[in-house]
Amino acid sequence: MEKTKRVAIAEYSNAVRSKVFILSVLMAPALMALSVGIQFFAEKKVDTSPRKFAVVDRSGKIYPALEAAAKAQNEAVKNPGKDKLANFVGPKAPFIPSTHQDQEDEEKLILELSNQVRKKKLFAFLIIGKDVMETDGEGDRGIRYYSQTPSYFALPNWIDRTVNGVIRNQRFKAEGLDTRRIAKLNRRVGVDQLGLAKRSKTGKVQKAKKDNKFVNFLVPVFSMMVMFMIVMTSAPMLMNTVLEEKMNKVSEVLISSVSPFQLMFGKLVGCVLVALTLSLLYIGGIAGVMTFFGVLELLPWSLIVWFFVYQILALFIFGSMFLAIGSACNEIRDAQSLMMPAMILGMVPMFAVTALIRAPHSPFSQAMSLIPPFTPTLMIMRLAAAPGPATWELVLGFVLTTAFMFFCVWAAARIFRIGILAQGQSPTIAKLISWLWSK
Amino acid sequence: MSEIPSAEASVARADLAVLLEKVTKTFGKHEAVKELSLNVPRGSIYGFIGPNGSGKTTTIRMILHIFHPDSGEVEVLGNQSTRSANDRIGYLPEERGLYRKQKVNRVLQYFGALKGMSRRDANASINHWLERMGLSEWAHKKVEALSKGMAQKIQFVSAVMADPELIILDEPFSGLDPVNLKVIRDAILDLRQQGRTIIFSTHDMSMAERMCDSIFMIYKGRKVLDGSMHEIQSAHGEDRYRLGAEGSLDFVREIDGVSDAKEINGHMELKYVGESQKLLRAVMDKTPVTHFEVAKPSLHDIFVRIARPTTEEAAHGKN
Repeated sequence: MEKTKRVAIAEYSNAVRSKVFILSVLMAPALMALSVGIQFFAEKKVDTSPRKFAVVDRSGKIYPALEAAAKAQNEAVKNPGKDKLANFVGPKAPFIPSTHQDQEDEEKLILELSNQVRKKKLFAFLIIGKDVMETDGEGDRGIRYYSQTPSYFALPNWIDRTVNGVIRNQRFKAEGLDTRRIAKLNRRVGVDQLGLAKRSKTGKVQKAKKDNKFVNFLVPVFSMMVMFMIVMTSAPMLMNTVLEEKMNKVSEVLISSVSPFQLMFGKLVGCVLVALTLSLLYIGGIAGVMTFFGVLELLPWSLIVWFFVYQILALFIFGSMFLAIGSACNEIRDAQSLMMPAMILGMVPMFAVTALIRAPHSPFSQAMSLIPPFTPTLMIMRLAAAPGPATWELVLGFVLTTAFMFFCVWAAARIFRIGILAQGQSPTIAKLISWLWSK
Repeated sequence: MSEIPSAEASVARADLAVLLEKVTKTFGKHEAVKELSLNVPRGSIYGFIGPNGSGKTTTIRMILHIFHPDSGEVEVLGNQSTRSANDRIGYLPEERGLYRKQKVNRVLQYFGALKGMSRRDANASINHWLERMGLSEWAHKKVEALSKGMAQKIQFVSAVMADPELIILDEPFSGLDPVNLKVIRDAILDLRQQGRTIIFSTHDMSMAERMCDSIFMIYKGRKVLDGSMHEIQSAHGEDRYRLGAEGSLDFVREIDGVSDAKEINGHMELKYVGESQKLLRAVMDKTPVTHFEVAKPSLHDIFVRIARPTTEEAAHGKN
């Protein structure tokens, strides 16, 4: 045990001091921070320039209302509310409409305004049809929006909402209807998505909670991706270290001091510790970001506990596989061809993700998440998707995966003890299997 | 083949660092070691010699319990068939291995930790041995910056730094220049003086002759030599003589009992069956004798004689 501990400490210490680890720790949050930072910068710095647009109102009835709505919108931009998320995703630029004289020659008009957009005098222009208020007939009823920046949706979306609102109100007025009353009658009734109510241990009924899209979709997918990423980056590193030791002829020195199992298990434990450190750093980072946005209460703490449990199991399973492969090979080329089956085994859950996220409780999802090598990744996804798997599934999945983990460690140890000193021809899967039972 | 001399019976079991009893190890159909028995007394230097692929490394790996024998008994420092003795064994493998990207002291600290050393003891030992090897200033350099000879000395330090009772050195002198060779050789002799048992394998027969208390030769998995140099020479020294004279020695070939006479470097080497005094008298009768020596075969001669391919093998090799 002492020797295993010493190997594990050395592996952990070497790994966390390596440039690769420091890069992998910094890379994900750095990319995330960079992405958020750029968006912040873009929203605050780039997107805040006023969006001037010309309006050719052939109906003669829309522009005044549009101008008034723009003023109100610009006031809202100047004085944002307290909802940080809404402020972050909402438009930041003031919209400045100006009326433009219509011309008989439409082509000339459009060309002239287009040139103004090209010269950056305008951001866009709008032509409102003469018959836009009409409800019947084939007249000029369209609204055309011209711009050089089709990917900027905030302005055309706002125009769409605003102009249609103005048209609707004016039509109601023309029909002698009370627009306020119609607005009241037309009030949209939202559908709140809720979970289920339940009775607590004290007998009190706990009200059903509102579903949150963030929790329902992003958390399951994100948990699964993080699990996959950490396992599939940590486990192959074990293969590399063993292969490197073999190629540098260090293995025999080590094996003269520790048993092959002590060496292998120490490496596995070291790898698990490195991955857990990485996960803790990531989850800490996520908690920090969520605190910033004021949504920390959405972080599912019970899921995090399961995440660590399944991550440990997955690391022992895949770590054993990659260690066995590394010990049996003499060259990186051999290892690359042998690691493919293990990589595919790790990637299968990713292929099934769409089906599982749509119906996390279907028989297919249940069956897939109970197959041991897939359980850690898929069960964590199902756990994140409310209401989560049944208790019997969790227990069965845990028991099967734990049993499979013990089998993998045993099999890897059998292969490792022979492979670590084997030289010569490239190993095959059949040969590795035969090593399981050889003396 | 002549009888194999051995000191097996003369040393008490408790005084043995290594005891192998009818040990056999096979790999697939290849029998690497066959019914090998060997006693290595504590405090001795035991040389392992043998051609490549003869079973030396397999034997060493069985002593280290890296390999388990198919049959027979392996007892090292009083422990049977377990790795419990391994912390008391220092090992320098034939193929040197160090972490190239790590610093010298860090690599040695790790190897020391695996031998059960505390960080403090390891550091003290590292400093002592690096100083002795003349490598103190390289302690904080990366291994990849070392020359081949330096790396070999670091590897030697890794084998001895835990103050082991038994030190197994597989080809410790290969690739070393004469200066570094002397450094390692002196260190080995000092360790023996301190009561350590040293087993080393080598292809350098003269080094084995000069350094070893006993020599063991394995050939095709079987023990063919085992004993002190004197015992081996006595067992394998045929009645060969070396003669020098003022005149021609061609007449010697005609003396009864003389055979296999060859002229080597101005001397006549020959085999004679009979009393040496009778041979000397017969030569002196014909010419004044300047040199008369009962020649003992060198270890090299004995090695070559045993490991020389048979006519059949040579013919097979040519084909």
